[in-house]
Amino acid sequence: MSDMILFFIVQTGFVILAAPLVNGIIKKIKALTQKRTGAPLLQMYYDLFKLFKKTSVVSDVSSWIFRVTPYIVLATAVAAALIVPVTTLIKPVWNSGDVILLVYILALGRFFMMLAALDTGSTFGGMGASREAMISALIEPSIMVSLLTIGLIAKSTSVFEMMTFMQTVHNPLIHPVYLMIFFALVIIIMAETARIPVDDPSTHLELTMVHEAMLLEYSGRSLALMELGAAIKQLVFITLLVNLFLPHDQLLGISGITAIGISLLIYLGKVVATAVLIAIVEVSTVKLRLFSIPNLAALSFILSFIGFLQFFVFGG
Amino acid sequence: MLIALQNIGEHNNLFLAAVLLYLIAAVIALALTNQHKLCNLVTNSICMVAALIGITAAIIRLSTDAILAPVTILKSQIPFLLLEIKIDHLSAFFVLCLSVLALCVSIYSIGYNAHYYQKRNVGFFNFLYAAFIMSMLMVIISGNAIFFYLSWEAMSLISYFLVIFESEHEENRRAGRLYIIMTHLGTAFLLIGFMIMFAYTHSFDMFGSSELIPETAKNLMFTCFLIGFGTKAGVIPLHIWLPYAHPAAPSNVSALMSGFMIKTAIYGLIRFVLCYLQVEQLWWGAVILCIGVISAVLGVAYTLMEHNIKKLLAFCSVENIGIILIGLGVSFIAAAQNNDFLSSLALVATLLHTFNHALFKGGLFLGAGSLQYATHTKDIEKLGGLIHKMPVTAVLVLCFSLAISAIVPFNGFISEWLIYQALFLNINMGTAGLNILSILSIAALALSGALAAAAFVKLFGISFLGLPRSDHAAQAKEVPIVMNIGMGILAAFCLIIGIFPASFVKLADRVADSILGSSVAETLQPGFLSATVPLTVSGNSIAPGEVLIALTVVILVVLLMLRLFWGKYQARKYGTWDCGFESINARMQYTATGFSKPIRIVLSILYRPGRKVVIEEGESDYFPKSVKYKVWTESIFEKYLYSPVIRVLKSGSEKMIYLVQTGSVHVYLLYIFISILALMFYNRVV
Repeated sequence: MSDMILFFIVQTGFVILAAPLVNGIIKKIKALTQKRTGAPLLQMYYDLFKLFKKTSVVSDVSSWIFRVTPYIVLATAVAAALIVPVTTLIKPVWNSGDVILLVYILALGRFFMMLAALDTGSTFGGMGASREAMISALIEPSIMVSLLTIGLIAKSTSVFEMMTFMQTVHNPLIHPVYLMIFFALVIIIMAETARIPVDDPSTHLELTMVHEAMLLEYSGRSLALMELGAAIKQLVFITLLVNLFLPHDQLLGISGITAIGISLLIYLGKVVATAVLIAIVEVSTVKLRLFSIPNLAALSFILSFIGFLQFFVFGG
Repeated sequence: MLIALQNIGEHNNLFLAAVLLYLIAAVIALALTNQHKLCNLVTNSICMVAALIGITAAIIRLSTDAILAPVTILKSQIPFLLLEIKIDHLSAFFVLCLSVLALCVSIYSIGYNAHYYQKRNVGFFNFLYAAFIMSMLMVIISGNAIFFYLSWEAMSLISYFLVIFESEHEENRRAGRLYIIMTHLGTAFLLIGFMIMFAYTHSFDMFGSSELIPETAKNLMFTCFLIGFGTKAGVIPLHIWLPYAHPAAPSNVSALMSGFMIKTAIYGLIRFVLCYLQVEQLWWGAVILCIGVISAVLGVAYTLMEHNIKKLLAFCSVENIGIILIGLGVSFIAAAQNNDFLSSLALVATLLHTFNHALFKGGLFLGAGSLQYATHTKDIEKLGGLIHKMPVTAVLVLCFSLAISAIVPFNGFISEWLIYQALFLNINMGTAGLNILSILSIAALALSGALAAAAFVKLFGISFLGLPRSDHAAQAKEVPIVMNIGMGILAAFCLIIGIFPASFVKLADRVADSILGSSVAETLQPGFLSATVPLTVSGNSIAPGEVLIALTVVILVVLLMLRLFWGKYQARKYGTWDCGFESINARMQYTATGFSKPIRIVLSILYRPGRKVVIEEGESDYFPKSVKYKVWTESIFEKYLYSPVIRVLKSGSEKMIYLVQTGSVHVYLLYIFISILALMFYNRVV
């Protein structure tokens, strides 16, 4: 029972609280590289608190889909967070730790987000939804191939089992299979979390925006929920990346509550490092033209496919 | 002529009763042809009773252990014409599938057929409708190849008449013509397969043994069955009749055709290839897997480009047949390698997806019928905002859209998850070439899943959300409640299978167990109606019930916390953001064509899109009188595969006719003489 409570607190509470911080770090680094002071690290928390209080403005064209979508988006992001363990020292208590399930739970949120964008009859919404549909479709094969290749080596499609297996791999990033998949996953994260070079989170120009265009009609509490959902989804993908490719739990060599605490601290350190890395990628690249994204998706797919082929050449 | 009805055993009585009830319904429909309302009510009620009996019979049959239930035989004096009814677990499973669909469609039809009253011959329509269900039932319970062939032919012909039921439109007649040509092309190949079967075994018994057939002949038979059944299933490139025939037929018939008739081909492939021929060749499975992958990806790619709602759904059927064939391909590959567990698992996934597709595709076609009933158009570009006018239909169509996009917690996800797992296991134990094929199938499945989601966001978003794009859509009213009940039952099934998959997996598992002798039920940890009991494959599991509980709990906790800390949700109604210009109108919204444009550009090698802009000049260059914009995509299979063949055939036969029919009586006499000579010679030799 205590395991269960611990698991839920760590997986939901911890992830929800830490998620906006990642955005704060990325924004801070971007500001610093532009010689600005930038907003405080905790700015997104302040924004969320403010937005929760505010009255929403709802389009009179919209239907119940528009109103329930923020809750569904947040719930699917939290459910996804339950699938991806932040530390392998706590055994997941529920049965649904499947990687295919992870992809399709996030698809539920995306499905409703695209519908909500069309619900208001706004051209921006349609544009965002249409672009999101294209990007998500192009990136999907790469997600499946890269994650299932790790699954093949670990002989399971459960995320927890995969992460536990990766603990036994000595320094995955010098192994040809994992290296390919790592880069494939980095591209996937850029696409899934609406970051440069795929999408620009700081723009509201109709030529460029994808994710922001879908949120354009949202305000107040609904907007806060959507933003929080997106931040959690981003942290889930980062967690997937760092816990698969930079495993640390076996290095501790101890167990118990202290070990979990230390493990979580190291995890946080890795997340911060990844956030810095993402920020550096964001400032050093430009946003791609929409119709260059297929090339990026193809690159990601080819990397994961080569990773798969190398699994047969070099073994796991 | 028919001399004896031999009925051994009791199980079949219920199946026979169902067949007879459909027959009675058909006859009554003809008898009451002048009283439209009564005829419609009575016929559909009888069909509902027959369907309920079918469901009961199938469940009883699936829960008994006997491998082959007793046989009902209708003997006749015509050689080989032996009408046998044999029902094993496989047949029973398909009867269940058909009966559930027929039940819901019949309920729906009570309301839907109302728009035919006093306009068309409702009696004749209902006669065809009941006869169509009966013929499909006969196909799956027939015990020998001749009876199977007769039922198959009856099914094809009756469905042809249903396709051209609204025959005043030229396009419907064309669709019918294309359909009957393609379906007979397929039937011809089936006939060749049956003849090879008879040539070696001297029997048409499809439950018999195929040991006497040599390997080459088996390969030939497989090819014939693949083309024959493939045409009916609508696999690419034999799919061209589907996008014409499904939109032409009335929607309740489309639901049956797409929901079940194309599945009879899947039944045929399992029955004749897996059960009768016993898969020994690895390449059989590999070919089916390849065809499945191509159909899944191209099918969904064409789905995205359509904005005729029924054509869109027809292409989506091609996609789902592709997914079913991916599962079947893995099952065949594993069977050829004597891996009974994987073969069973893949077969369970295939059967479950077949059942699921019947539910949600049937439901979607009924939904398309409701839209047409309410707005008199099939073009989604003319719809919009219907969620306010038709709230119940909107919720039901949304459920089916989520289910067909394989999204949790609906049934589509369960079967696709099983197919993913089957492919995953196949890589673990397959050989090098098959591994690459399997991982590419996984990628194709992922791609088709995401594109299907995009297509159904388009379908639902454009037709139900936003502002109405035409007067018809603005004045739409909710359809009669019976129509929603029919769809509602299907939607409930979709949700129940999605949340409690174990018991339905167990039904499919009994079929796999009886065919392949390996049960996957223990590994899948089934628990009757237990949401928290997970499905487990290869040390990994999902429990859709838990996911749903998790989602609900999160939403409730969030609502509670927001309420406690930040007070009540407050909203102000205001117009959609219009950038400070004039208020937004319906023409400014994204259209279905616009929505799919990014994908059209990305996959332009496949679609070969073209566009034409016609500008009518006005007083000034800046104020043209009218601008017409037309965009189209090409069907590469029709253009590069079928058209050249048809052209060659046509010009060839035009030339031949003058060579053969010279007009001279002497030549004709010579023909007769040569034919007689040839026949005599043949008799001597044989």
